[in-house]
Amino acid sequence: MRNFFKLVLRDFKLVIKGSNETLAAIMFYVLAIIMFPLSSGTETDLLSKIAGGAIWMAALFSSLLSLDRMLRSDFEDGSLELMVLSKMSLESIILAKCLSHWLTNGLPLVVLSPILCIIIGLDFSYWWILLLTLLIGTPSLTLIGATPAALSCVIGKGGVITAMVMLPLMLPILILGAGAIEAEISGLGGIGHLYALSAILPISLLVAPFLAAKAVRLGWE
Amino acid sequence: MAGIFNFLASPSRFRRLSERLYPYTIFLMVLFLILGLWYGIYSSPPDYQQGETVRIMYVHVPAAWMAMMIYFSMTLMSIFSLVWRHPLADLLAKESAPIGAMFTLIALVTGSIWGKPTWGTWWVWDARLTSVLILFFIYLGHVALIKLFDDEEKGSKAAAILTIIGAINLPIIKFSVDWWNTLHQPASVMRLDGPSIHIDMMIPLIFMAFAFLFYYLSFLFINTQAELYKRRVKKIYLQNLMRKEK
Repeated sequence: MRNFFKLVLRDFKLVIKGSNETLAAIMFYVLAIIMFPLSSGTETDLLSKIAGGAIWMAALFSSLLSLDRMLRSDFEDGSLELMVLSKMSLESIILAKCLSHWLTNGLPLVVLSPILCIIIGLDFSYWWILLLTLLIGTPSLTLIGATPAALSCVIGKGGVITAMVMLPLMLPILILGAGAIEAEISGLGGIGHLYALSAILPISLLVAPFLAAKAVRLGWE
Repeated sequence: MAGIFNFLASPSRFRRLSERLYPYTIFLMVLFLILGLWYGIYSSPPDYQQGETVRIMYVHVPAAWMAMMIYFSMTLMSIFSLVWRHPLADLLAKESAPIGAMFTLIALVTGSIWGKPTWGTWWVWDARLTSVLILFFIYLGHVALIKLFDDEEKGSKAAAILTIIGAINLPIIKFSVDWWNTLHQPASVMRLDGPSIHIDMMIPLIFMAFAFLFYYLSFLFINTQAELYKRRVKKIYLQNLMRKEK
């Protein structure tokens, strides 16, 4: 368990000190949201309608971008193999990677969302549902994306392929997340969507580390 | 139960068995198809509300059932392949995917053709339609992923992993009509309190479902045989090369 948190801390520090890529993914999130008013008009009525969907869409693409690199560098330079040779199992390593990925890429999106809520013109009284959907949804995005990310390391070619395989798997989360906000705005109450969304998280938490580990081992066979 | 799986673990044994079963499945498919089309087109009454367009349902509903059934069986095969390393499971899953994608496409297209006169629109973004479209993309992803790997065995393993994650979509498809207020009507055949459609429409539906099931089986058999023969030809070719080297 101590090793687990050490690993999370290591990845966290690496992101803070090292690459600007995480920052770029978060900047992409903000920029993509700003694109929506610029591309589809600045009328407040229209914007408040599409706001939830726009924020979720941006969150999805931002995590797509960052997920592709979640395991890549450690897989390619062999650190992952060395970690497995230590006492930790590959499954818990992947879980630690997912946790640090969420802390550095998912959590900032959640924290930023009330501010973006104002920028894009979503009524501020709905900030809590936006925050809740993102808080429950982004860890599921990370966990579900971990396996395709591992597969793309094994194939060696990343980018478009990962997106193509990853996107259909993530669509249910997008639909439920954006749907919750829309249902809340239309007065139906988004809590039903929220329940379904929070059902996905424990399932993916249970299944994802094992499948992602299976995918990584495929590369070592 | 384990005995059957062990029995089928040898590819050549499976090939022989499927070669023996293949004529029967083709025969049953043609039989059920003729019966289903006869009952569906001539011998069943038009719906009081939908009129003659209800006959599209005799293709649409069984195709949608098959789309989900094939994905479910692919999930089982993937678990078999990853957990017990069953040598045939990968192959069967690989050959199932294109057939499943085809049935999904048929369900989407016929549904759209039926939707135009009935709902007044080709396509709506309701939960059932969207989740089936996602299923179609997952099938395509499965087919593409195997091709991305140079080593086919690795590709099949990767696709098996993908299939298991994608299985989360199946309950969403099944219960989408209950969870959301969809334009697509709720289930009328597979219900806990028994089917709610009339027996005259039930008969062609069941016949067509069996026709599609046997279509799937026979094409699964023939594709798997072709793949097994292809592997054998490759092996013999390599053996001959080795002999020449000596």
